[in-house]
Amino acid sequence: MKFDRRLLLNFDWILLMIVVAICGIGILNIYSAGISLTAAKAEPIYVKQFIWFLVGLAFMLVSFGIDYRLINQYSYPIYIFSIALLVVLFLFGEITRGTQRWFVIAGFSFQPSELVKLTLILALSKYFCVQEIEGDYNLRRLWLPAVMVVFPFLLIMKQPDLGTAMVLIITFVSMVLFVGIRLRSLITVVTSGLLLAPVCWMFLKDYQKERIMTFLDPEMDPLGSGYHIIQSIIAVGSGGFLGKGFLKGTQSQLRFLPEHQTDFIFSVFAEEWGFIGGSLLLILFLALILWGLRIAQHSRDLLGTLIAFGITMLLFWEVLINIGMVLGIVPVVGIPLPFLSYGGSSLVVLMTAVGLLMNISVRRYMLQR
Amino acid sequence: MSENHNRLSRYDSSRFRKKFSILLWLISVSLSVLMVRMWYLQIIKGEELRQRSENNRIRIHEIKPLRGALIDSNGVFLAGNQPCFDVTIIPGSNRDIKAVLRTMEGFYREQGLDFYRTEAAEKARSFISVKVAKNISRQELAIVESHSVELPGVAVEVVPVRRYILGEMTAHVLGYVSEISPEELKTDESRTYKQGDRIGKFGIERFLDKYLKGVSGGEHVEVNVSGRRVRVLGKVDPVSGHNAILTLDADLQRVAWEAMEGRAGSAVALDPRDGSVLMMVSKPAFDPNLFNQGIPSSEWERLSKDPGRPLENKAIAGQYPPGSTYKMIVAVAGLEEGVITPDTAFTCSGSLPFGNRVYRCWQKKGHGRVSLHRAVVQSCDVYFYNVARLLGPDTLAKYARKFGLGEPTGIDLLGEKGGLVPTKDWKLRRFKEPWQAGETLSLGIGQGFNLLTPIQLASAYAALGNGGIIYRPKLVKRIETLDRQILKEYEPQIKAKADISDETRELVRSALWGVCNEGGGTGGALRRKEADVAGKTGTAQVVTMKEREQSVAHQFRDHALFVAFAPWDKPEIAIAVVVEHGGHGGSTAGPVARKVIDEYFRKKAAAAAQAKAAQAKAAQAKAKAAEVKTAEAKPDEAPGKPQPEAQSGRTEEDEEESE
Repeated sequence: MKFDRRLLLNFDWILLMIVVAICGIGILNIYSAGISLTAAKAEPIYVKQFIWFLVGLAFMLVSFGIDYRLINQYSYPIYIFSIALLVVLFLFGEITRGTQRWFVIAGFSFQPSELVKLTLILALSKYFCVQEIEGDYNLRRLWLPAVMVVFPFLLIMKQPDLGTAMVLIITFVSMVLFVGIRLRSLITVVTSGLLLAPVCWMFLKDYQKERIMTFLDPEMDPLGSGYHIIQSIIAVGSGGFLGKGFLKGTQSQLRFLPEHQTDFIFSVFAEEWGFIGGSLLLILFLALILWGLRIAQHSRDLLGTLIAFGITMLLFWEVLINIGMVLGIVPVVGIPLPFLSYGGSSLVVLMTAVGLLMNISVRRYMLQR
Repeated sequence: MSENHNRLSRYDSSRFRKKFSILLWLISVSLSVLMVRMWYLQIIKGEELRQRSENNRIRIHEIKPLRGALIDSNGVFLAGNQPCFDVTIIPGSNRDIKAVLRTMEGFYREQGLDFYRTEAAEKARSFISVKVAKNISRQELAIVESHSVELPGVAVEVVPVRRYILGEMTAHVLGYVSEISPEELKTDESRTYKQGDRIGKFGIERFLDKYLKGVSGGEHVEVNVSGRRVRVLGKVDPVSGHNAILTLDADLQRVAWEAMEGRAGSAVALDPRDGSVLMMVSKPAFDPNLFNQGIPSSEWERLSKDPGRPLENKAIAGQYPPGSTYKMIVAVAGLEEGVITPDTAFTCSGSLPFGNRVYRCWQKKGHGRVSLHRAVVQSCDVYFYNVARLLGPDTLAKYARKFGLGEPTGIDLLGEKGGLVPTKDWKLRRFKEPWQAGETLSLGIGQGFNLLTPIQLASAYAALGNGGIIYRPKLVKRIETLDRQILKEYEPQIKAKADISDETRELVRSALWGVCNEGGGTGGALRRKEADVAGKTGTAQVVTMKEREQSVAHQFRDHALFVAFAPWDKPEIAIAVVVEHGGHGGSTAGPVARKVIDEYFRKKAAAAAQAKAAQAKAAQAKAKAAEVKTAEAKPDEAPGKPQPEAQSGRTEEDEEESE
């Protein structure tokens, strides 16, 4: 592919700066969170996270460089590939800590469900472009996208990873509402869902019911999620206005807070950097999301709009649910905080997604001929 | 591309304008909600929460469930739980653990005690509770409790510890529990376990682990500066494990163990009616109570290197040549195949020359002319050399297999061995040598390559006694919840049927009866006054393969075997005893079997007498009640007789009460 000078000329520097800033905060924060975790010999986790960040940058460059309309031609194969990974994991994956989420390759683990978040957006965008219609969609045109989401949804539920499965559904619903669904179809879906729920409930196993009940009411599990919430709230609140200072968060350093390097990473940050730091991070996220929406709105074709919209919504929901959970206003569910939670799969996939945003952003100028 | 360009030309993003502006608001508002919440937590509640974080001593304390009990068939506890005390320490930020431990050691010294700290105590890290001493005595408990002020962060924890009431006597069959190993944690079956959990490692404890283990609970507690709990914020009660009612009988277990005092080997008894394992003993044994708190590695080393193999359950994993107990199979095979009739006789002159060797009978002066019945009763070797020669190894193997020999019985215990029933093909494969005719003769008296486990022998004899049914031995009757609800019932499982004619069975069975009850029989030790035992003695040579090929002469250090069932016509108990290096079967293994059988029938008679007494008592009570009733109804009439039809109903109730 010949290098186009306009790629550089119209490059979306603002988007890059926001993402690099958030990632920078993320690695610094992982450094702090990891101190109490790392055994003497092992490699500190922030180093691993930094390596993932570099890998992410490379993927970002690739997803930025190839015209998204070209990528779109391979959206279905890419989607099917990612689903195949989930199936392979389901069939052969090793069970660690009671779940079956990761492939482990050369010491680095890879979580296919993170990849599916992005490939689903691509596949749905392609579908709604190919099947573009005037006005709203009815159920006859929506069954295929529904299958696209339900299949990975079930596989991920089985892992079990309720959080990721939910994010898939929410992203799907956001996109369907965005492209438009007929009011009658919407009512049909919602009512049949409400009617079917008790039937499904009967087929669930006891432990599954229990898991859903605790999700709805963490007080039922004072040793698990209830404990997390209380410790998380203490961590955040004790940060106060200015925070306790870098590496000085007692809650996380003293390991009161389990899982603080992954799903509860925001409480580590809010404890050490206080309201000032927390607000800054929230504003950066807000800027990123609004900038993503802007890119969606100003795309010169429907495909760009849909991809950018899907990615932005994915970011929005993950940020909202994760921070809401850490602040104790959303039930505890395992969803990582974009760019901050420790874990390579999520980081690389999200940076690839940001590359696509840049891709769409820069090509709106190139399509203006 | 062209398609895209077409689309592009008519693409108008303004159709989404309304949706975008709604979204803009939605997103801004929801992220603002997060910001407001953060403001509330950090600014408004900030000071309060900062205080709490400084005094944060909220932690989770796991409460281990009680493991289900193992109960014998008569309701006697074989394994239960007993409280034991552990010392834990919670290191604080400004607390020197080493100093606290030194202080503690000082208190111990004052009382003239040594302080054994765990390895974990050395590696204690901030804020995570560690065990520094396990299973302390009452005296030590008193020291720790009385000096609690000087020992900040130190706490005593009560933990239930598994207790095996019969100790060594049931070591192999019940097994033991101990902390799950890292390797076990990695397996798929252990997904519900976590580090530090206890798991059944051996025997029934392992087989029934999922029923016995229960579910951990926990407390969400706030503790004060010295690590003592101030209040409980939340609690989930543990769920105790279920109880298992076993088929074992504690008395038989004890009797067998004591009868084998000073001996090595094993004994196993089955109920031929359903395959229940009534008794299973293996010697030497180990003390399973030692494993509860983690066995010292030196002790483990000693056990695993002991030449007596105390860690092996010899009843299922000990493989022995069956010796003359195998003659039962040879006799059945001979009759079924028609190579002999009950009247076929061979002359025993004390030895049989065959090829260029001489095969001897244990009776040097010979048995004279004997037919089947006498040959079995007197265990004439020459007779069976002849029968084996006529049958050949493959036909013998066929009948051995019919009785379930040479393959695992399928009992639910880990480590069962299959034994070995040799054939011509097997020898060719294994040694690349053809079968020698002389080896067939050895097989006739249970020597040669034959290797069987005690439980296989018991099961084969049980099958002969019960009409040919080979059950999969079962150890568990049922699983009960704590409130005695039956959770799972274990039904008898028929594994195979040894289809032999009734005629053959009767002939062999009566010959085995003769072994114990006729003059000149080798099983005289089993001659009870009821004359109800049928069985067979056996003496298994302990020599190497090579030596065995060269000579069948009886050697020193033979294993003594005895297999029997009783009552001979309707067996309720089948037993196999192997006494390693015990010499002749009749004199060392026989008495063990005798004691177990005696105990079995003594208990049965006692139970019957008790039931009778209870019945009589019930009848009496009924009579009295009737007396009162009639007296009330017709005061002028004389006291009436008890009402017979009401008796039976009452009796059952009474029996239940007396249990």
